[in-house]
Amino acid sequence: MSDFRYVGHDTPRPDGGDKAAGKAHYIHDLERPGMLFGKIKFSEHAHARILSIDTSKAERLPGVKAVLTGYNTPQIRIGFLRDNFALKRDKVRQFRDEIAAVAAIDPDIAAEAVELIEVEYEPLPAVFDPIEALADGAPLVHDQDARGNPVTSNLVPMPCRHESGDLDAGARAAAFIAEGEYSTPLIQQACMGTAGCIAEFDTSNNLTIWAKTQIPFLAQRDYNRALKEMGLVGKNARVIVPAMGGGFGTGLDTHAYEYIAILLAHRTGQPVKIVYTRQEEFAYLSPRQSSRSKIRQGCDENGKLTFREVIVLQDNGAYVSWGATYPSVMLLPVTSLYKVDNVRFESTIAYTNNTYCQAMRGYGNPEVSWAIESNLDDLAAKAGIDPYELRLINCNEPGETTPMKLQVTTCGLRECLEKTADGLDWKNRRGNGKAKRRGVGMASLIHTGGGGRIYRSDASGMILKLDDFGNVNVFHGGVEMGQGLHSAIHLGLAEALGVKPEQIKINETDTATCPWDVGTHASRGAFMALKSAIIAANKAREKIFAMAEELFADIVAKSLAKYRKRYPDYEPPAFDVAAAARRDRFELCEGEVFIKDAPDEPWLKVELSQLLRAGHFRNQGTMLTVESFYDPPNELPDMKTGTGNISATYAYGTQGAEVEVDTETGEVQILKMVAAHDVGKVLNPQTLKGQIYGALAQGIGYALTEEVKTKNGRILNPGFTDYKIPTVHEMAFPIQLEIVETDDNEGPFGAKGVGEPGLVPTAPAIANAIFDAIGVRIHDLPITPEKILDALDALKQPTR
Amino acid sequence: MKTRAYHRPRTLDEAFALKREAGPDARFIAGGTDLMVGQQQPATLISLRSITDLAGIDVGAPTKIGALTPLADLLANKEIAALYPAVTQACHTFASMQIRNAATVGGNLCNASPAADLAPPFLVHGARVGILGPDGAREIALEEFFLGPGRTALADDEILTHVLLDKPAPETRAVFSRKTRVRMDIALASVAVLLELGDRVCRKARVAAGAVAPTPLRLTAVEQLLEGKRITPKLMADAAELAKTCIAPVDDIRTSADYRRRIIGVYIRRALEELCA
Amino acid sequence: MSETIAFELNGQPVRVAAEPGQRLLDLLRGPLRLTGTKEGCAEGECGACTVMVDDRPINSCLFPALEVDGREVVTIEGLRGPDNRLSAAQQAFADAAGTQCGFCSPGMVLTATALLNENTDPSDEQIRDALVGNLCRCTGYVQIVDSVRIAAEHLRGES
Repeated sequence: MSDFRYVGHDTPRPDGGDKAAGKAHYIHDLERPGMLFGKIKFSEHAHARILSIDTSKAERLPGVKAVLTGYNTPQIRIGFLRDNFALKRDKVRQFRDEIAAVAAIDPDIAAEAVELIEVEYEPLPAVFDPIEALADGAPLVHDQDARGNPVTSNLVPMPCRHESGDLDAGARAAAFIAEGEYSTPLIQQACMGTAGCIAEFDTSNNLTIWAKTQIPFLAQRDYNRALKEMGLVGKNARVIVPAMGGGFGTGLDTHAYEYIAILLAHRTGQPVKIVYTRQEEFAYLSPRQSSRSKIRQGCDENGKLTFREVIVLQDNGAYVSWGATYPSVMLLPVTSLYKVDNVRFESTIAYTNNTYCQAMRGYGNPEVSWAIESNLDDLAAKAGIDPYELRLINCNEPGETTPMKLQVTTCGLRECLEKTADGLDWKNRRGNGKAKRRGVGMASLIHTGGGGRIYRSDASGMILKLDDFGNVNVFHGGVEMGQGLHSAIHLGLAEALGVKPEQIKINETDTATCPWDVGTHASRGAFMALKSAIIAANKAREKIFAMAEELFADIVAKSLAKYRKRYPDYEPPAFDVAAAARRDRFELCEGEVFIKDAPDEPWLKVELSQLLRAGHFRNQGTMLTVESFYDPPNELPDMKTGTGNISATYAYGTQGAEVEVDTETGEVQILKMVAAHDVGKVLNPQTLKGQIYGALAQGIGYALTEEVKTKNGRILNPGFTDYKIPTVHEMAFPIQLEIVETDDNEGPFGAKGVGEPGLVPTAPAIANAIFDAIGVRIHDLPITPEKILDALDALKQPTR
Repeated sequence: MKTRAYHRPRTLDEAFALKREAGPDARFIAGGTDLMVGQQQPATLISLRSITDLAGIDVGAPTKIGALTPLADLLANKEIAALYPAVTQACHTFASMQIRNAATVGGNLCNASPAADLAPPFLVHGARVGILGPDGAREIALEEFFLGPGRTALADDEILTHVLLDKPAPETRAVFSRKTRVRMDIALASVAVLLELGDRVCRKARVAAGAVAPTPLRLTAVEQLLEGKRITPKLMADAAELAKTCIAPVDDIRTSADYRRRIIGVYIRRALEELCA
Repeated sequence: MSETIAFELNGQPVRVAAEPGQRLLDLLRGPLRLTGTKEGCAEGECGACTVMVDDRPINSCLFPALEVDGREVVTIEGLRGPDNRLSAAQQAFADAAGTQCGFCSPGMVLTATALLNENTDPSDEQIRDALVGNLCRCTGYVQIVDSVRIAAEHLRGES
C-alpha cells in the first residue's frame, strides 16, 4: 500500500480503454484531405556508384504526382555527423540507401511506380566486417566528411575511452583473472506499429509533420535545418506525435523517409504519407547496433574485484546514428557495476557497408553487461567463489562515487541480489541439478534512473492550463509510446496538485504547444514529466491559494446563504472565514479548496472549478496557466575521460534464471525467473510491472532467439517468419517480481526511471544459469540450441 | 502484379471451365494463407471455397478428408483425435488459431513445403490423395504427390479433392513432433512415427520426416529395420542413427543441415520410446 | 473489375464494392473506414489484423475481401456495446494493463473474445494456445493473459 493518495495505487491507464477498443489513432490510421501516398526505391547494392536513374516511366504512370531523386531535389544532409542524405547522389553505401521516391494517389500506384524506376549502378568493392574495414587498403565507405574534408579511414571519429586507477597494478594484484570475448548481434526493435509519417505544408511553406518520433523537439530542429537546405529560410516545422505503436529507440533519430515525405509534400503541394510495410521495416529501418567485446576482470583471494578492462568494437554500418553513441552508456556498467577501482574502457567504431544502426532500449548497456556479467561468473568459477557471494562482496552501496564519477545516491542493489538469490532458492539449486541439467544464474544492472545527459540540455517542461470546468489541461513534450507516461502524469500530477486524476487532460505532444523536451529515452519519461509536474503544480497551488485569498470568503458566504435556505434550522459553527482565508492556510484536495483548520462543513468547501470561474468572470478577471521547466542536476559526460555524473540518480536491479537444458537438442527451457528492481518508488503498480515484463520478454528474445542475419550487407530475414520474437508461449514460465523501493531524494515521489533496466541483465542471467547447468559458456548471442550442442561437443573433445 | 480477376465458382465444373478460359495465369485458391502472402499475386484466382462438396471429414475404412476442410475442423474432430492422434497433434501446433480457421488440408499439401506439417502424420497413415481434372479423377500415394519444394504431381488444371487415410489397426500408436525456434514457426524438422505392436514385437512401422529433404518423406529403411523385431533401446538407437542417413537436410536461414540431422535422430528415438512406453 | 458484395458487418448489413486482389483488411480500413484493425506484417504472423468471419478469428491480411460476401464479419469496433460501453474482454484489457502501445490490442482482444465465446473457463495452456498467433512487443504477455482470465471470470459471473 502506498502512503500517497494516488501515486503507488494500482490504477487503470487513462488510454487503456481507447486502445482496447481500437480507438487509438496511429500514423497508419490518419488521413489528411488531399493526401498522397509516398513510396521509396531502395538501393540494390551494398556499395556502388549511381550511374543513372531513369524515372520517365514512373512519371508517366497515371496517378503519380511526383518522382524525386537526389538529382532533382536540394541535398539534405541528415544524421548528427551529417554524413547521410535524404536521397542519395553519386554513391550508395548500403542496401537500404534511398535512391528515389514517388508520391501517388494510392499506395498501389506508388508501389508500381517505384518498380518502374530504372537505376544503373557500377558496383564497388564493399566491406562488411569492422576489422576488415579498419585494415589498410579497405574500401572507403565515405571519402569525405560533411565539410568536404578528405577522409582516409573507415574509423568513425567518435572515440570513447576511460581509464581510472592503475590497470596494471590492478591486474598484478589479482589472484584470479578471467578473460573472454563476447558478441551481440543486430537486433530489430520490432515495434508492432511500423514506421511512418505524414508531411504537409501550408501555402506559406511552414511544415506540419505527424511523426513516429521520440524526439519531437530535436526532430523539429533537424526539420528546420532541412527546410533551410530546401531554400525555405525562416520557415518552421511543427511536429505532432500521434499514438506510436511502440518506440524502443526507433524514434530517437530522424530518418530519410521523413525528409523524403517532406520533399514530396513540398513538390506536390499536398500532404504525403509514407508508412513502412513490415518487410520494409525490417529491411530499411535501422536496427540495434551489434557489438564485440573483449573483457578481462580480476579479483583477489577474497573475491574483491581488482580491475576490469573492456574493449568494444562496433560495426557502425554506412552512416552514423545513435548506435554510435552506445559507448557513452556502456561506460555505466563498465565503470560502475560493482565496485572496481581500476578500470579501462576503449571503444572503436568502424564504418562498413552494412545497415546503419540506431538506438534501442538499453542503448549499449545490454551489450556490455552481457560481457561483464558472463565473465564475472567465469571469474567466480576460477576463484572458487559462489557467483552470488562474489556479487555481494563487490556490491555497490548508497553514497558512492564511482570511477566514472557517477554520484550514487540511493542504491538497492544489495537487496535486489538477496531477493533474487532467495527467489531462486539459490543455495539449494546452485550446481545441484547436473543430472537433470538444471542450473541457476544471475546478473545485475546499473542504468540511468534520473534522466541521462547526452545532449547539452536534459530538460523537460510542462504547461498546465486550468479552465472553468476544473480541467487541468496538460501540455508536455514527452512521448507516450505505450510505457505508461500518461498514467504516471495522471497520478503524479493529481497527487502534487490536489485534484482527481480524472481532471487531468493530457494533450497531444506537439512542438507548437508543448514546452521543450529533449526526448523520451534513457528511461527518463516519467521522471522528467513528474519533476516538471511537481514544480508546475506548486506554482498552480500558489496562484490558486492567492486567488482564494481574494475570492474564497465571498463564495463561501453565498454558499452558506443557500445552505441556510435549504436547512433553515441549521446553525453554522463559529468560524471567521474572512480572517482565516489566507493563502498559507488553504488546502486543495480532490479538486476542492478549503481552509485547513476549518470545521468540516459542506458549504466551507469550494470546488476548484467554481473558484476558477469566479476568478475568470470578475472585473479584470484572470485565467490560471502555469509553466515549469526542469533541468536535472546531471552532467554531460566527457568522452575523452569517460567521466561525468550523467544522471540524477541510478537504477539498479538483479535478475535470476533457473533453466533446464536438453543436452540432446540443445534447447533451453526457462523454469523460472526472478526480477528484482530498485525503482525508487512505484508510481503505478500495473504499469511498472508492464515495463518489467515487457523488457524481460525483449531480454529473452535477445538471449535466445533474435538475430538480424545479413550476408554481404543484405538482410536475410526481413519478417517475423524468420526473425523470431517471443510469443505468449515463450513467456509461460513463472516470473517473480521483487520491487525494491529506495525512495530516491531526487526522484519525483522517490521514483526512478524503469523503462530500460528490465532487459539489461536477462541474457547473462540465462547464460550463467546454463553454465551452472551444463558447464558450457556461450559467448555469442543469441544462445541457440545449435550453439549449445556445439559447445557440448567441444567439452567432450580432449584438450589439446 | 496484382490479381485482376477473382472467381467464386459453386461447382467443380464451373471451376474447371474458368480455369480453361483463363489459362496458365490462373491459380486455384483455397484458404489463401499461402497464396495471399507476398506482393506477387496470380492474375486470376479461382476460389474453391464455395464448393462445399470438397470439405468434410468422414472417419472410416478408409477415412476421407475433403481437401477444403479447414485445419481448425480437422483439429476439433474427436474421431480423428481418437484414431489419428498424430494428425491431431500436427494440427494443434499448426501455426495459429487464425491460420487454422482459413488454411485447408488440401492447401497445406498443394503448397508442398518440405516442412508441410500434415505430411508426416498423413504419410505414416498410408495417405492417398484424390486428384480431379477436366479429364477425370485419379488417386495416388501421398509419397508420389510431392515432387520437390513447391512442386506436386498436379497438372496445371487439376485440383486435389480429398485425402484418404488407412483405418488404423487396434494396436496402432502414432506420434508427431516438430522442432521450432519459438512456438509459432515453420518446422525446422518434424517426425511422425507409427507402430503396430503385438507382444512387444513391431508388426508394422511407419516413419516419416519433414523439413529434412526436398519433400516430406517416408524413411522406409528405418521402417524395415523396425518391422518384425522387438523394439529394444538398442534398436531405437540404431533406428535413430539410420534415420540420419536417410534424409537430405540443407543449411538455410533457420538452421543447419547438421542440426536437422541431429534432431531427426533424437526425435525418432524419443518417438519410439514414447510409443513403447 | 470491382464487384459489389453484401455481408453483415458488426451486426449491420452492408453493401460495398470489393476488388479482385483486395484483402479483407484493406476493405475494412479503406472504404469501410474501420481503422481499428491493423496491418502488422501482411503475412499472417502477427495477428494484428485479426477479425472474425462467421465467428472464426482469421488474419484479414490473408483473407480475400470478396470471400466475405454473404458472411458475418465482426471487427474490434463491433465488440463495443451501445453508449460506448466496452465488452468484457475490452474492459478487462483496459483495467488490467493488457495494453501498452495498443497496436496489437484490437487483434489480441478479438482473439481473446473468440476464445471466450467458446470457453469461459480456459486453462492457462488454452489461453496461450489461442493467443500464439498474436504478437506483442510491449507487454511480455503476462498482463494480457491476466486480462483474459479476468474477462473469463467476469463472463462466468464470478467477479
